[in-house]
Amino acid sequence: MARHGSDATQLVTPAMLAVVGVLASLPLWIGQVGLYPYIGIEIVIWAIYALSFNLLLGYTGLPSFGHGAYFGIGAYAFGLFQQNVLPGLWPCLAAAAGAAALAGLVVAAFISHRRGIYYAFMTIAFGQVFWVVAIKSHAITGGEDGLLRIQRAPADFGIVSFDLRDNVSLYYFVLGVFAVVLVALWRLVNSPYGRILQAVKQNETRAAFVGYNVWLYKFSVFALSAALSGLAGGLFAMAQTSAFPDVMSLHYSGYVVMMTLIGGGIVSFWGPVIGAALFLLARDAIGAVTTAWMLWFGLLFMLVVLFKPEGIAGWWQDLRREGGARRPGLARLRMLFGG
Amino acid sequence: MNLLPHILNGITLGLLFALIALGFMLVVGLMEQINLAHGSLFALGAYLAFVVVSGRLPLPVEWVREWLLVPLAWRYAAALVVAPLLTALAGMVLELCVRRTYGKDPLYGLLLTFGAAMVIEELIRLVWGTRDYVLPVPPSISGGMIFWDLIWSTYRFYAAAFSIGAIGLVWLFIERTPYGAIIKAGAHDSEIVRALGIDLTRLRLYVFAFGTLLAALAGIIVAPIWGIRPHMGVDAVVPAFLIIVLGGVGSFWGAVAAGILVGLVVGVSGAYASEWSLLSMYILLIAVVTFRARGLSGKKSLLEA
Repeated sequence: MARHGSDATQLVTPAMLAVVGVLASLPLWIGQVGLYPYIGIEIVIWAIYALSFNLLLGYTGLPSFGHGAYFGIGAYAFGLFQQNVLPGLWPCLAAAAGAAALAGLVVAAFISHRRGIYYAFMTIAFGQVFWVVAIKSHAITGGEDGLLRIQRAPADFGIVSFDLRDNVSLYYFVLGVFAVVLVALWRLVNSPYGRILQAVKQNETRAAFVGYNVWLYKFSVFALSAALSGLAGGLFAMAQTSAFPDVMSLHYSGYVVMMTLIGGGIVSFWGPVIGAALFLLARDAIGAVTTAWMLWFGLLFMLVVLFKPEGIAGWWQDLRREGGARRPGLARLRMLFGG
Repeated sequence: MNLLPHILNGITLGLLFALIALGFMLVVGLMEQINLAHGSLFALGAYLAFVVVSGRLPLPVEWVREWLLVPLAWRYAAALVVAPLLTALAGMVLELCVRRTYGKDPLYGLLLTFGAAMVIEELIRLVWGTRDYVLPVPPSISGGMIFWDLIWSTYRFYAAAFSIGAIGLVWLFIERTPYGAIIKAGAHDSEIVRALGIDLTRLRLYVFAFGTLLAALAGIIVAPIWGIRPHMGVDAVVPAFLIIVLGGVGSFWGAVAAGILVGLVVGVSGAYASEWSLLSMYILLIAVVTFRARGLSGKKSLLEA
């Protein structure tokens, strides 16, 4: 799938610079449009989560519908490691990603030989297992009351150390993580490994006959995606200064699917980012008017599945294909968004 | 510890699980279509039944007062007919959307019905709020009875008997009418079925509606045990899906056996660790599916692709 054009070989693409640049300016104007810096933190964290999820759905064609489990495990691991082992930021984030990776490895070992609806359901079943355990292990996780009093430890870079207790500084920290994840994922999906993942998506049997160990690719990409989701979960625990089981529920696992699909994760690297931003902005914008915002977002999701499964990014690509040649303005925008 | 009561409890619970999965199984088995909105329609059925029984209808006050004078047993019976039919109408509307995904990757149907589940659940919250409701049942099927020096809930036996009846009915529909075979064939080769002069579009609509009707019936039967709340949809659809995967897609008796097995495992593990009994069904599923990829007696299905 040559969907990334000539940018594929670059370490940092113009689109990345544009997106991170716009996001970096967010604290300057977010107050003027009636929002607050915290939503920026949420958008960036969920964008990391959705990007890692899309490694499975969009790139490998694996429907992982219980992915909230790994996000939640990351959040709990962050808090528990901080409170019981080491308080530093880096070990805690490593613990978040590590614990989620471990859970991902175990689950992947059970499901990587499956496909289609069976794969989808087995991921749901494992997701429910982790969710039930999180709720019922009251002594460890605090059950439904959540794991409270998680600290925002300072980001210590040896020479300088940043205090992250303020929302704006935490925002810049998660944005930094986001930038690193973007570069890493972009390299990954455009590497030979990423190409094989896309071959698995197109036709698993054919990929196997060509000689690739499909099981190993499905296994490793699941663990990788779980690890990154866990990292996002760790950041989320920091943002919320607590961890709750509801992010592991079937609903929340569904939200990341909705974000990714509406944004256009099926056809574009940037789909999950667009979707995460739209989802959270819609939550606040529609949520300000009616408590039933999920009703409207659910209807939008149904419309997207029915009429435009390629999502917003796919719609944008169509638009460019039709009008790009005639309109130089759009052609210039194309440089920004790649796609 | 005497396990017998737990086993009996488990079997009645298992029959309830089988009832919950029945409509889901009908749609999966005949149409090769996952309906994740099954749980929300199950909840909708329970809410509508509550509306009918408790007379909270948008009607003139005098009519409602008249209606409440009718004995509870009659109101309950009316709810058992009216609520599933109304829910089936909602199911028909859903089918009009879902039909666009037939013949595509089964994931689209799954995603679409997931969205529908969200929408229906939100509608329920919007109309009825987040509080719990209790569905009143006639005194003849509520209360308890003494047996083996233990108190048993009469309602559980009524619910189990109802489940057996519904299971028999669906079996007759699939095995003793031509519709089962026609729709099943349609899932595999709709062109040929249509060429034989069969109106597949309409048949699928009816089957989907029948599945929805069964979901609503299950909701009404389960409501007095679980309580009526917005989350009951999710609580129902995950076990339903689990039972189908455990029993094997496309196998009627596999699913019924899986339902009873799940009930037994939940019931017996509940005797030892009630907090963790919900977990036991997932462990059962993982244990079975690890060794038998298609569940207890599954056949090859389009859904594996």
